[in-house]
Amino acid sequence: MTGTRVTTVVYSSPFVPAEWIAAHGARPKRFRPDAAAAARSAAPVAGMCPYARALAGEAMALRDGQVAVFATTCDQMRRAAEWAALETPAPVFLFNVPATHGTPAAARLYRDELHRLGHFLVRLGAGDPARKKLADVMESYDARRRELRDALGILTPREASEAIAAFDRDGSPPTQAAHGSLPHGVPVAVVGGPLMRGDARVFDRIEEAGGAVVLDGTESGARTIPAPFDRRRLRDDPVLELVDAYFGGIPDVFRRPDEALVAWLGRELASSGARAVVLWRYVWCDLWAAWVARLKELARLPVLDLDVSGDEGADRRTANRIQAFLEVLR
Amino acid sequence: MNPPPKRISMEGLDLLCARRSAGAPMPAYVGPLRRHVAEGDRRLLRLEYDASPAALRLWSFLLTEEERLHAAHAAGAKIVGAMKDLGTVPVMAYALPNVVAFYPDGAWWTPCVMELSDGLFCIAQSLGFGESFCPVRAMLGAFVNRAHFPIPDILICSAGAVCDDFSAIAQRVESLGHPILWWEMPHRRRPEPDEPAVELPGGFSAPASQAAFVRSELERVRAALEGLAGAPLGDAELAAGIAEANRVRRLLADLRRLAYTAEACPMPALEMLIAEMLAIHFCSDRAESIRVLADLLEEVRRRVKEKVGIVAKDAARVFWVNPVADLRVMNLLEDSGGRLAGTEFLFSHALDPIPEDLPPMEALARMALADPMAGPSADRAARIVRDARAFGAEAVLVSRIPGASHCALEGAVIARVVREELAIPVVEIEVPPVADPMMPTLRSQLEALVETVQERRKR
Repeated sequence: MTGTRVTTVVYSSPFVPAEWIAAHGARPKRFRPDAAAAARSAAPVAGMCPYARALAGEAMALRDGQVAVFATTCDQMRRAAEWAALETPAPVFLFNVPATHGTPAAARLYRDELHRLGHFLVRLGAGDPARKKLADVMESYDARRRELRDALGILTPREASEAIAAFDRDGSPPTQAAHGSLPHGVPVAVVGGPLMRGDARVFDRIEEAGGAVVLDGTESGARTIPAPFDRRRLRDDPVLELVDAYFGGIPDVFRRPDEALVAWLGRELASSGARAVVLWRYVWCDLWAAWVARLKELARLPVLDLDVSGDEGADRRTANRIQAFLEVLR
Repeated sequence: MNPPPKRISMEGLDLLCARRSAGAPMPAYVGPLRRHVAEGDRRLLRLEYDASPAALRLWSFLLTEEERLHAAHAAGAKIVGAMKDLGTVPVMAYALPNVVAFYPDGAWWTPCVMELSDGLFCIAQSLGFGESFCPVRAMLGAFVNRAHFPIPDILICSAGAVCDDFSAIAQRVESLGHPILWWEMPHRRRPEPDEPAVELPGGFSAPASQAAFVRSELERVRAALEGLAGAPLGDAELAAGIAEANRVRRLLADLRRLAYTAEACPMPALEMLIAEMLAIHFCSDRAESIRVLADLLEEVRRRVKEKVGIVAKDAARVFWVNPVADLRVMNLLEDSGGRLAGTEFLFSHALDPIPEDLPPMEALARMALADPMAGPSADRAARIVRDARAFGAEAVLVSRIPGASHCALEGAVIARVVREELAIPVVEIEVPPVADPMMPTLRSQLEALVETVQERRKR
C-alpha cells in the first residue's frame, strides 16, 4: 500500500469480528473467494487446499486502501497468509485465533489479537475507536444480524446462504421476502468447511437430486454467525463481549478439544431431522477429512464425503456424486 | 581396534556384536539386530549401518525403547505421552523423579521399520485416516492395538500453530477415550518495531508477550506433571533438567559440527538422523542417551583425526530438510554420491541449547517458541540458509512428508529463499514410509543433484 488510508479489510474467517473493523472506520468485507483466483496465487497445487490458494490469489489482487486479514485457524491458511504476504504489496495481517479454549489465557490471547489488529489498522490510517463507538457499532450489527437470523428461516437454503454472504460482504440484512419455494425431499444436512463464490449452488444440486437441505453447517452458514450480544455487558466492556460472542461462541473444526463442534452437530443434526449428511471439504483439508468417520459414528447417518477441488469440472463431479448419493437414499 | 569406517549390512553389524560380546562388557540392551527382525522389524534387513560399536549401541538403544517403556511402566514409573511439541515437555517431565516421557508420534516410523506388517495404517484407515494424512497416523493405530508403546498415564499435546494432520489425529485419539491436556502454541510472529521482544534459542526473536503466553501455558503443563508425579516440579528441578538436556544438546552440537564439516564424512546419514532424534525425548532414558551420544562422538572424533570417512572425500555436500518416513532413503544419499552437510529435521529447537541464564520456565517457553513449525516458513528457510552456509553445503534437499499439511507451501518457500540467498541447487523429493517402488526415481533425483553439484565445482 502506498500510503493510502485503509478503506476496506477483506477476510474470510468467521473469527474476525466485522464490528471491530467497522468501529475503526474501515469497511469489513468478509467474502467468499473465487476459485479461479487460485491460479493467480502461483502457489503449489499438489498438497495445498484450493480454498487457501484462492484466498491467497484474491489477496494478490487487492488495490490501494485494501488490506487482507487471514486467520491461523488451520495450517494451510497461516501458510497461505505468508505466501500472500510474499507476493503482494498490500498489507496482510495474520490473526492468531487460539485453537484451545476454555482457559483464561486463550481468551486473553484472542483479545490481545483484536487489539493488535486494531493497532495494525490505526497504523494504516484507521481511527482508534472509543468504547462507546465500538458499543454502538456492535449494537447496530446485532440488530441487523437479528434481522438476518429471522429471514433465514423463510429462505431457501441457497437464498439463505447468499443472504449470509451478502451480510458478510456489507453488513446488510436481506431486504426481500423469500421468492423460492422451500424444498421437499430427503432431508440432508450440509456440514464442513467454507464455500467459495458460487458454491451455494451445491444446495440446488442437492434439491435437483431429490434432497432438501435442512441444515447448513458449513463454515459459511449459520453455524458461524456469532451469538447475540448481551446489551448490558456490551456497554460495560464491548471488547470482552466480542471475545465471548466470537471466540467463545463459534464452534469449529480446528478447536481443541473439539467438544463444542461435537455438541453443535449433535444438537443441530437431531433437531433438523436430517437423514443424511453431505460433508463439504476441500482436498488436502485434514481437519474436515478427519471428520468423515467421526460424523458417521456420531450422527449414525449416511455421509457423503464431498472432497472439493475447486477446479474446472468440479461442479459436474459434485452434482454426479450428490445424485448417486441421493439415489441410494430415496 | 576399531573397524575401518564403512557401511555394513545387518548381518555385518550382528557379527560385530558377537565379537564385542566376547570382549568388553556392553549395556544389557545391546544385542544383535536380528532379534528385532524376528519381532517384525524387517526393514532392518534392508538398511546399511555404520560399522562401529558406537553405531551398534545407538541402534540397540533405539530399537529397545518400547521394552524400556514397558519395563518402566511395570516398575511403577509414570509415563508421559508428549505429543507434537518435539522437545519441550520431555525436558520438564524428566526433571521429575520416576517419570518417563516419550512421543507416541514416533510410531510414524513403525510402518517403515516393520515394512507395513504392523497393520497400523490399516487401523488408522478404519478410523478415517487414510493416505491423505501424514504417516504419523500410525500413532492412532498404536493407541488402538496397544502392541507398541504402553498407554501413557497422561497425554500432553500442543495445539495451534501445528500441522493439521497431527492435530486431527490427536483429536481422534482423544475421541477414542484417551484424554489429552491441550496447550496452545501460538503462531510465532516477528515483533512489531515498537514491541518488546525476546531472543529465542537458534537466533530468532519473538514478541515478549508471546513468550509470556507460552510460559503461562507451560505452567498448566507443569501443574499437570506435578499432579501426575505427586512431587513438586520447582524451578530448581527444572533448572537441573535443563542442564541435563543441554548435555545432550552439546554432544549433538559437537557431533553435528564434526560430522557435517569434516572433509571426509565420518558418519553415515542414517546414524546421524537417529542420533539427532535422541534430542527429542532421549529415547526414554536421558542418562543413557548421553552415554550413547558420547560413544558416537568419540568414534567421530577418532575418524576426523585419522581423516577417514565412509564415502569419497569429493561426495556432494547435501543439506537435508525434514525427516524421511523411510529410513532406507538416508542410505540412498551416500549410494548416490552424496553425504550429509547439515540437517533440519523439523526440530532444530530441540538441538539448540536452552538458555540457562533465564528463569527455567521462561527458557522453556522461548525454546518452545523457536519450534520451526510454529513460525513462518521464511524463518525456517533463513535458519536453513544460515546452517547450510555454516556447514558448507553445496545443495539442499527438501524431503516432503506425504500428506503433511505444511509441506507443499513450506517446500516452495524454502526452495525460493535458498536459491536466492545461497544460489545452490535445491531438489524436492517425497518419501513414503516404504519407498521401495520409488527407489529408482529417488535415486535418479539424488544422482541428478549430485551431478549438478559436481558440474558446479568445475565452473
